[in-house]
Amino acid sequence: MGKRVLLADDDQLLASLLNFRLKKSGYDVHHSSNGKEVKEYLKTERPDIIVSDIMMPYFSGIELIDFVRNELKLNTPIIIISSAGNEQNVLSAFELGANDFITKPVSPTELLVRVGREINK
Amino acid sequence: MSISKSKDLIGQLSNLERTVSEFSFEELSTQDSKVIQSYFNSFRNSLESHIYNRNNGTNLKEQVVEKEEVEKELPNKNQFIAHVSNQIRTPLNSIIGFANLLNEEKLNTSQHKKVQAIQFASISLLNLIDEVFEYSKISTGYINFETIDFNLQGLLNDVMFLCETLMVDRQIELIIDIDENVPKIIKGDPSKLSEVLLNVLGNSIKFINQGYIKLGVSAKECDENQFILKFSVADTGIGIAKEKLETIFNCYAQAKDDTFVTYCGTGLGLSITKEIVEKQNGEIDIISEEGIGTTITFSIPYATGNISNRPVIQNENSDIEKGKIVLSGTEILVFEDNLMNQHLIKAQLTKWGCKVYTHANLKEGLSILATKKIDLILMDLKMPNLNGFDISKVLRAHKDVHINTVPIVAFSADFTEQDSKDCKEIGMNDFLLKPYTLDELMSTIIKNKREEDTSMKVEHLLQKIMIEPKETTRVDLNGLLQDCFGEIEILNELIKLFKMNALEFSGNVKLHLQTDNLKEVAFAAHKLKAGFAMLKANGMRQLIVELEAQCKANRPNEVKELYQLFLNDYPLLEQNLDTNLAGLNKI
Repeated sequence: MGKRVLLADDDQLLASLLNFRLKKSGYDVHHSSNGKEVKEYLKTERPDIIVSDIMMPYFSGIELIDFVRNELKLNTPIIIISSAGNEQNVLSAFELGANDFITKPVSPTELLVRVGREINK
Repeated sequence: MSISKSKDLIGQLSNLERTVSEFSFEELSTQDSKVIQSYFNSFRNSLESHIYNRNNGTNLKEQVVEKEEVEKELPNKNQFIAHVSNQIRTPLNSIIGFANLLNEEKLNTSQHKKVQAIQFASISLLNLIDEVFEYSKISTGYINFETIDFNLQGLLNDVMFLCETLMVDRQIELIIDIDENVPKIIKGDPSKLSEVLLNVLGNSIKFINQGYIKLGVSAKECDENQFILKFSVADTGIGIAKEKLETIFNCYAQAKDDTFVTYCGTGLGLSITKEIVEKQNGEIDIISEEGIGTTITFSIPYATGNISNRPVIQNENSDIEKGKIVLSGTEILVFEDNLMNQHLIKAQLTKWGCKVYTHANLKEGLSILATKKIDLILMDLKMPNLNGFDISKVLRAHKDVHINTVPIVAFSADFTEQDSKDCKEIGMNDFLLKPYTLDELMSTIIKNKREEDTSMKVEHLLQKIMIEPKETTRVDLNGLLQDCFGEIEILNELIKLFKMNALEFSGNVKLHLQTDNLKEVAFAAHKLKAGFAMLKANGMRQLIVELEAQCKANRPNEVKELYQLFLNDYPLLEQNLDTNLAGLNKI
C-alpha cells in the first residue's frame, strides 16, 4: 500500500485534480472537504502526510495544525495550501508547526515534489 | 362552514408557528448559523407581517372572527373564502420557499427533522387552502365543464397507474372491472372525471390498511346519443360510522375528529367530488360499515363519442412499447416542486426510455441545462419561489443558444386565457392541462421535443465564432489537460465541477448582495478564483480578484458593478470553455 495522504480542501475542483495526481503517483489519498470531517478522520487514522487548505468551513487549516500538533501531539508532516497575499496566515502556520506551504494557483507537479520531499525526509 | 374551516386554519397556523419557533440555531457553527439566521428572520418577518396584521393591532384570529360576522351579511360568502385564501397563500409560498432553502443548508439530524416539520406543516396548510379555494370556485359555478371526445379506456388506465404508484410498498390489491358494453370513446369532460375518480380512489387508498380496492364501470344506454356511466369504488378500508355517513358529503365533515391527524385529510375532497358530479347532472351515493369497508357509487350522463374527433394519437393498449420507440433516449428536464408529482412523471417517462431530471429551482435546472443535452422542458407553472413563468423568462433570455431555444411545455392544473397569453409572450412552446392522459403527455412531447436540426447547429456555431475575444472570456485548457496526464475523462469531470462552482458562486453572490453581506461575497470570490486560474482564464480571474478586494474595502457599489461584469462575460467564457473542451475531446 502506498503512503497515506490526507487531503483537506473544500475546493472540489482543485481537490479532484490533486486527488487524481496523487493517486497516479501511488499515494493512498483520503479527501475531506471540511475541517470537521478531518478532525473525525484523525481520531482513528494516522496518515503519513497532511495537505490542507487554509480557508475551510468549520475548522480552518490553521486550527487543524494546532489540533494535530498540540492536541494529538503528532509530528505528521503538514503542507499548507495558501492564497497569494496571505503571508500572515503562512507565518501563523509555520509558527504552529507546518512543514511547508504552496501558493495558489497550485501546480500539481510542484505539490507532488513537495509531498515526496516531506515524506522522504 | 367557514367557521369550522377558519378554526382549522388557525389550528394549522399555530402548528406551523410552533414548529418554526422550535428550531434552534445555537447548535450550528457560526458561519452557517449567520446565513440560516438571516433566512429565518426574513421568514419570520414574512409570517408576522402577512399573517398577523400589525398595522391595525389585530391578529388573524381576531380578523377571522370579525370577518365571520361580516360574512353573514355578504351576498356571496365564497368571495370571502377566496379573499382569505389568497391573503394566506402568498406568504405561505414564501415560508415554503424559505424552508426549502433551510433544508439545503448543512444541518444535523435533529435540525433536519425540525425543518421537515416546518415544511410538512406549511405544505399541509397550503393544501388545505387550495381545497377551500377549489371548493369555492366550484360551488359558485365559476368552473367550466368541457365537452370533448375522449378515450375512456385510456383515462381509466392512467388513473389506475397513478393509484398504483400511490400504493407502492403496500399489500393492497387494486382491481378494475369494466363491463363489455362500456364505450371506448365518450364525449364529456375528461379532466373532471379523472379528478372525481382520483378523489374517490385516493380516499380509499388513504383509509385502507389491507385488502383490496375495486373499481367497477358499467354503462346504461338512454338513447342512441346518450348513456349513463356508473362507477363504483369498493374498498376494505376502515369504514365510516353510521351516524357520520349522512354528513360525509358535507363540507369539511370528517368521520372522526382525529381523522386529519391520522390520515392528513382536509375533509373537502368528497364535497368537491359531489359538486363536480352533480354539476354534470350526475348522482353520488355511499354505503359503509365501520371496520368492514366503504363503497362509493356515482353515475354521470355522457354523450356518445366520435372516434374521428379524437385528435391525439390513438393507442388503446398499453403504450409503453410505442413510447419506447418514439421517445427512447429523449432527455427531459422537469421543473416540478411537488415531490409526488415529480415521482409520478419520472416513473412514466422512464418507462418510455426517457432520461429524466426533476428539479424545482432555477439554479439546479441551469446546471443540468449546462451539462446535458435536454430535448424538452416540462414546466409546472405554479411553484413556490420562482414560478414557471419566471424560470422560463430567465431561460429565454439566456445567452447560450442551447438554453434559450430549448422547447418548454407548461403544465398546470388550471390554465386561464391570461396564462395562455403569458406563455406565448414568454416564448413557451405548448401547454398541458393537469391531470393529463398518458396519450396527451406522449403526443405533446413528440410534437415539441428538440429535433437534431442542422440549421440550429450552424447557428450555434456562428454564434460561437462571432464571440468577441474579450480578455475576460478567454480560457485555455491545454495546461490543465497536461496536469491530468492527458486523460480527457478527468478533464471533462473537472470542467463539470468548475461549472457547478461558478453557478454556485453566481447564486451565492446574488443572495448575499441583497443584504450587502460583503464578507460572504468575498469568501465566495476567494473560492472561485483558484478555478479560473486552473483554466488559465486570467482575465476573469483578475476580475474576481478585484471583486474580492472591493469586498474587503467595503465598497458594495463597486462589488455590484464587478458582479454585473461577471454575469455579462461568464456565459461567453463558458461557451469558449465548451468549444475548447469539444476540440480536445475530438483529438
